[in-house]
Amino acid sequence: MKAAQFEHHEPTTVDEAVSLLESLDEPTILAGGQSLVPMLRFRLARPDTVVDINGIDSLDYLHEDNGYLKMGALARHADVEDSEVVADHYGSLADAAPLIADPQIRNRGTVVGSMAQADPKGDWGSVLLAHDGEVVARGPAGERTIPADQLFLLPYDTSLGEDELITEARVPAPVDGEGSAYHKLKRKTGDYAMAGVAARVVLDDDRRIEEAGIGMTAVDITNARAPEAEDHLVGERPSADLFEEAGELAAEASNPESDEHGDAAYKERMVDVLTQRALGDAVERAGVVKRRVTQ
Amino acid sequence: MSSESDNTAEPREYQHDDDGGPQPEKHCGHGRGGMGEEVTRKEDKRFITGRGNYVDDIKKPRMLHCEIVRSPHAHARIEDIDGSRAMALDDVVAVLTADDLLEHDLATMPTLMDDTQDVLVNDKVKFQSQEVAAVIATDRYAAKDGAEKVKVEYDVLDPVIGAEEALEDDAPVIREELDGQDDNHIFDWETGDPEATEEVFDAAAVTVEEQMEYQRLHPAPIETCGCVADWDPGDDKMTVHMTSQAPHAHRTLFSQVSGIPEHKVRIVSPDVGGGFGNKVPIYPGYVVAAAASYVLERPVKWVEERSENIQTTGFARDYDMTGELAATEDGEIKGVKVDVLADHGAYNAAAQPSKFPAGFFNIFTGSYDIEAAYGSLTGAYTNTAPGGVAYRCSFRVTEAVYLIERMVKVLADELDVDPAEIRRQNFIPSDAFPYESATGWNYDSGDYEKALDKALEMADYEHYREEQQRRIENDADKLIGIGISSFTEVVGAGPGKQCDIAGIEMFDSADLRVNPTGNAVLRVGVQTQGQGHETTFAQIVAEELGMDVDDIVVEHGDTDTEPYGLGTYGSRSTPVAGAAAAVAARKVRDKAKSIAANELEAAEEDIEWDRESGEFHVVGAPDRSITITEIAAGAYMNHPGDEEPGLEATNYYDPPEMTYPFGSYIVVVEVDRETGEVDFEKFVAVDDCGNRINPMIIEGQIHGGLAQGIGTAMMEHVTYDDNGNVTGGDFMNYLLPTANEIPNFETGHTVTPSPHHPIGAKGVGESPTVGSPPAIVNAVVDAMSHADVSHVEMPMTPDAVWEVLDEAGLALEPSANVTFEFDDTTEEPADD
Repeated sequence: MKAAQFEHHEPTTVDEAVSLLESLDEPTILAGGQSLVPMLRFRLARPDTVVDINGIDSLDYLHEDNGYLKMGALARHADVEDSEVVADHYGSLADAAPLIADPQIRNRGTVVGSMAQADPKGDWGSVLLAHDGEVVARGPAGERTIPADQLFLLPYDTSLGEDELITEARVPAPVDGEGSAYHKLKRKTGDYAMAGVAARVVLDDDRRIEEAGIGMTAVDITNARAPEAEDHLVGERPSADLFEEAGELAAEASNPESDEHGDAAYKERMVDVLTQRALGDAVERAGVVKRRVTQ
Repeated sequence: MSSESDNTAEPREYQHDDDGGPQPEKHCGHGRGGMGEEVTRKEDKRFITGRGNYVDDIKKPRMLHCEIVRSPHAHARIEDIDGSRAMALDDVVAVLTADDLLEHDLATMPTLMDDTQDVLVNDKVKFQSQEVAAVIATDRYAAKDGAEKVKVEYDVLDPVIGAEEALEDDAPVIREELDGQDDNHIFDWETGDPEATEEVFDAAAVTVEEQMEYQRLHPAPIETCGCVADWDPGDDKMTVHMTSQAPHAHRTLFSQVSGIPEHKVRIVSPDVGGGFGNKVPIYPGYVVAAAASYVLERPVKWVEERSENIQTTGFARDYDMTGELAATEDGEIKGVKVDVLADHGAYNAAAQPSKFPAGFFNIFTGSYDIEAAYGSLTGAYTNTAPGGVAYRCSFRVTEAVYLIERMVKVLADELDVDPAEIRRQNFIPSDAFPYESATGWNYDSGDYEKALDKALEMADYEHYREEQQRRIENDADKLIGIGISSFTEVVGAGPGKQCDIAGIEMFDSADLRVNPTGNAVLRVGVQTQGQGHETTFAQIVAEELGMDVDDIVVEHGDTDTEPYGLGTYGSRSTPVAGAAAAVAARKVRDKAKSIAANELEAAEEDIEWDRESGEFHVVGAPDRSITITEIAAGAYMNHPGDEEPGLEATNYYDPPEMTYPFGSYIVVVEVDRETGEVDFEKFVAVDDCGNRINPMIIEGQIHGGLAQGIGTAMMEHVTYDDNGNVTGGDFMNYLLPTANEIPNFETGHTVTPSPHHPIGAKGVGESPTVGSPPAIVNAVVDAMSHADVSHVEMPMTPDAVWEVLDEAGLALEPSANVTFEFDDTTEEPADD
């Protein structure tokens, strides 16, 4: 790698990082480097200063706390992949983590960094949306939370201020009757998603869908929800017909472009397929017996 | 050069397991690492412990770094190059352009096909990322900074992308600097007998035709190309450490291009991280680095970035082929025809023996006894990177095998017969060897039916055929497809009279020296990029001389010390240099015999070699014996008066014929009718490479080549947009398979020795890359052939397969395919 010259800062506390962000001219934050390092390598990113947060030990955590699964800014994809609490209770996260990039990159890349990068082909944004999650941001004015719905503005653009640092991403801990899943279609390990869908359902005592969340990857200018599909599911009992309708609604809500990952019509259709598959797994994880139609 | 008798050393039947089961651990009897033993690779220790020494590991005092300024346009005239802003940077030492190279007569270089390529663009850019200028600086970051500062003014021209477009009447002419070149046509080539083939086709009850594209691939070795050039003005000597598969040939070319006498040029090919044909040509970067070193009198390093490697160095394939078969109603193949449009890029820089503009493509009759064959091919220039190298392949044999193996499947489907049976029916019979094909190839040996039978059994063929039918009947959402490829390879070029590189005959060499203490150094003219030569060739010597494999060290890659050779590609190392090693060892053994007689105090005619024990002994007195190790001491300390002292021999081996490895691969896939995804259910590879030297290395070669075959069939493609921008020019877009995409391979083998090779070996490295793509494509086609699908183009990405499913009416409407069961009376909802 032959990056252009830059100044490298290594804060050890969040306060120090925030004050660097405030004082430096257009600083770039380095967490896992999953996207930044390739951009430096191609000199597509030419920052004057890089604030490397890897030395801020207080950001290195992944745990359940106060009704949330909390992931600090240094929680790596591999941490999610290896987490027992994730494996036991957060189906969509457990599905998504091992589908990201390759093992080497998962050892370095971070969940929060992926959200801050706001690449519409990133997986975590869809999961955060489906779970009604949020991120915690720290800036000179203090701390604030940004709901997933308000985080992603444009490709590679978030509602984060230039002097703010996302310190944490969190999703609400599941309630009884909740289940979630993530399905992704890609050409190979390490390739971006051709399309991906995260689904989350909460079933009531009557096994009707009380809440539904659907987040979509790589089929719009940001990670995006499928609100019509979500609304259509609420109040209904899971069934193949219902999911087929929801799949169609999600596909309609998607807005993919034709590119090397396939043409737009194909991707829309895959949103339909993946929505149905993710919903099926989510409902099963919510405690309903699912049987595959045998052929 | 060797005497004729050296080259016709009698073939010998080695012990081998004819049933192709696990190889017995020992073959030559002495158990010290001879033929057939799974000797652990000698080179592994340094690689595994991080002690390899690659070009980029080499650092020299006062070394400078070279970065190349590349054109963003595919077709453009250069109006001006201004390097002043780069020169203004502190760490930049020089900016070189074509004008500077012209002063030293280094502005152009010959390609292996005798075309002339700009080292740095003199007038007109002919492909995106072509070399325009070079910046030399004290470190690689500064060199890159400098390259960014070089200002180039371009007059952008319309690019020509695609061979078909290039040959249209109104296409812009790319190579107008060539005398008489007023279009983009390079050459036409023909093979076989057109009249006889037409007759067969006219008379045939059944004919089939299919168009198929073998897409542009890149060998994509993990180590990119690079060099450290070091001109020594004290000795007037140029030393170049470079990523070379053919260091000696490169020395000759370097000398010819630079005018430096050949004995003052030293090429060293250190550890090389994969070549796959990519490191056979000479590239402008090497020449620029050498020129810069000459001018600046300091060592200069040039190492490509990944995208530079994919975008500018030798690509492979890019053949648009239309195949036809003629057959009888009951499936006997009578004739084959093929017409090819070949995209060679901006220069004709393919890497073929010079008399073979289309390489060995005319072996497209494959494993079948076909009466008549005819092929025609047209090569075209386009505004894309030059290439056409033999990517893990003997010179276009990959394209040929793909063509015939795809066409046999097309024919089987047309006739509604089992693709295994139609192969069996048309194979060259095992008793017909040596066999001359309709296009003039002399196949040495083969038993194709045996390999196919073994593969069918290993693959549980009948079971999958039944499962395939069951899925079709149940309208299942995942279809089963079974693909077969029964390929025949042609490897081991020479013979020198037929095959040459830039005029140099394709022999190869070995120089074996046994030391006084009984160990030995074998120097070979070929070069390893991961094939395991340091182990395999030591095993050949161990076998021939009864020595311990650990007592033999193999050296390669340094032109100052190794005998001249043509290098490693086209699976030629074992067939040619391996033969040279065996013959050199036999020469040593001949000399050792007289010393043995002297030591054992017997007449030479009473001394015989015992291959089983690896010793000489006196006829009739097996206990009066002596090993080569003991003889070595005698050769230096007590040599017979009528013999020269010492114990060494050299052999330059010109093979009498090529060798013809073969095999049968069977691939079972599951195709998802909703998404177009393809999963491998079973992957069986039965190979026959003649006598086997190191089964473990062979299996490793097979695994690696199959992985590359999967990359070829499923994901790899160097793509361009209409403006000539490379859109598949880095690893985000040029997709290589990882371990995750690779299924469990089940490998098997049969052994049919080559009758003319001194140790009966044939070469194996490229068989899996050559043989597997058609098996994979045939499998995916087979999953849909009940709906009249006859072809699927590579790479078979999910969206591409889905399109074919959709056109065939097989794509499924998205459906949950599930039912949910509710128990309204009991259980609380469980945690997820």
